[in-house]
Formats: sequence, C-alpha cells, structure tokens
Amino acid sequence: MALIDLIEETVVRAPLKAVGKEAVIRELVDTLAAAGKILDAETAYQAVLDREAKGSTGLAEGIAVPHGKTISARELTIAIGVSPDGVEFGSMDGKPARLFFLILAPPDKAGPHIEALAEIARMSRSKAFCSALASCRSPTEVVRMLKEE
Amino acid sequence: MTRPIRKIMVYVDGSEQSITAAQYAIVLAKALGAELYALYVVDTRALAELVKSRIFLESEQEEYRRDLDGDASRYLNHVRELARRKGVPVTTEKSSGAVHVEIKAKVSEFAIDLLVIGEISQIRSRRDELYNETERAMRNAQCPVLVAKGEDKIWDLYEAME
Repeated sequence: MALIDLIEETVVRAPLKAVGKEAVIRELVDTLAAAGKILDAETAYQAVLDREAKGSTGLAEGIAVPHGKTISARELTIAIGVSPDGVEFGSMDGKPARLFFLILAPPDKAGPHIEALAEIARMSRSKAFCSALASCRSPTEVVRMLKEE
Repeated sequence: MTRPIRKIMVYVDGSEQSITAAQYAIVLAKALGAELYALYVVDTRALAELVKSRIFLESEQEEYRRDLDGDASRYLNHVRELARRKGVPVTTEKSSGAVHVEIKAKVSEFAIDLLVIGEISQIRSRRDELYNETERAMRNAQCPVLVAKGEDKIWDLYEAME
C-alpha cells in the first residue's frame, strides 16, 4: 500500500499546537485516536515514547519520523504534523523539527510498516519538497501537496 | 502443443492485494494443472535504507528483520492453507534482498511461466514508479505477469472452486 493512500485531512495537524517533543507526539496520537485509526491512544503514545527513548527519530532538515509498533493500531496508520515555528526534537543536525510523520503499525505487519518508512526516507531526500510541505498552513494544503507530488 | 503455463509463481507481501493474488493463482493452478510457487521476500534493502537515513537504529534493524521473518512464515503458511483447502500443492519460498531483484531471480531459478502479483497502488509520480517494488517486479520479470484485480470476483472464483 502506498503511503499516500493512508493520508486524509483527518490525520493531519497543520499547524500543530504543541511546542514540545512529547506534546507533539501526544497531539498526533490523539489525532489518530479522534480519527478512529487506533484503539487506545495511551498504549500507542507509550509505544512511540519507548522508541524515542532509544534514540531520537529527528532527522536532518526539520523532519522527524516518530514511530512504533502497537496492538492499538489495527492496520498501518500515519499522522502528519506541521509546526511553523519548529520543535526541539533532538534531531541529528540540532535544528528544530517542523515536519512530523508519526507512524504506528500492529506488531504483525512489519512489511507495510517498513515500506511506509522507506517511502518517507525517500521523500525526505527532497529538501525543496519537504520545505514546501512544512510551509503548509492547513490539512487541506498538506493533503493536496502530497497527492500532487 | 505443450501447455504454455506449467509453473505459476505468486508474490506475497502480506498485503490484502497479495492474498487475493494468491487465491487467483490457486484457482489458475488448479484449472491449468500447473505447479504453484509462493514467494515472500524479506526486504533487507529497505531495512538498510532506513538505517542509512537514520530512521532506524542498528538494533531496530535486527528487530524488524526478525519481524519480517515472522511475517514471511505467517503469510506463506496462510497461502499454504488456502491452497490445501482447494487441494492444490504449493511450494513456498522465502528470500531476502531487494524485492524486485529477488522476484526476477526466483522466476528464473524455478523457470516460472507466469508471475501473479497483487493489484498495484496507483502510481502518482515518477518517483512512485521508480521505487514501487511490485511495479518494478512487473517490469523486470522475464515472464508474463498477471495483475490480480477484482477482489470480489476472485473471492467468488476461489470459493466456488471444488
């Protein structure tokens, strides 16, 4: 399944309200819960925090890819967040993260999980595209840009 | 004239589309009296790519590798069970590497006459076309390729088969 097939306005937060790392993760997990994509926000939130405790998923160029395996997700699911001012995420280049892709997958669906992450890894190589995406000010803009990519 | 399709291979990646493809391959194998193979490829290239891009930690790569091995066994067992229900013998094969490369290699190794794959996600950009593994397998395989579309119709065919 292509990543784009999972993206709809209900799973996008643009702009994010949160200004801290854990708060961003919480906001995105809650977005998925509100959209009916996960069964239990708390379990999912803890799975992502546990992964972040091993090492930050903040990449270079303002992108972060927090992810986790959880039984709370019935299928692979993704939330996207945009923070215009950026959030300190412990990124490898020390810069604040502005674009967040939060991915949750059930423990027995490693294949689609890896496929989705690999798609984001490829997308993150396009600095111009990621910069444009991070400039979006509404879920509608984010979805339109991703679908037109 | 010799039968044009004596060996069929279905590529299974755990997606619903690939399970539908497996059902269709079972139907075809039974109807044509062909040998059936099912292949799962553990995508180690994607894992390496995720470590390189720093999305994965080295330890995470190993953890997901084990998960993928588990997926492979689970989905190949599922195909084996689907085939057994219809009295069709199936040879299952687990491989690892770049998906499209492995599919091409196994098609050649087993002298496959027809590769069956699941419906491909809509290609939305040149980038999709370059990176979608099933799309690449379809273009690179050295044998006819059948894309199993129409989940409901295939389900009915599978269920109706004695």
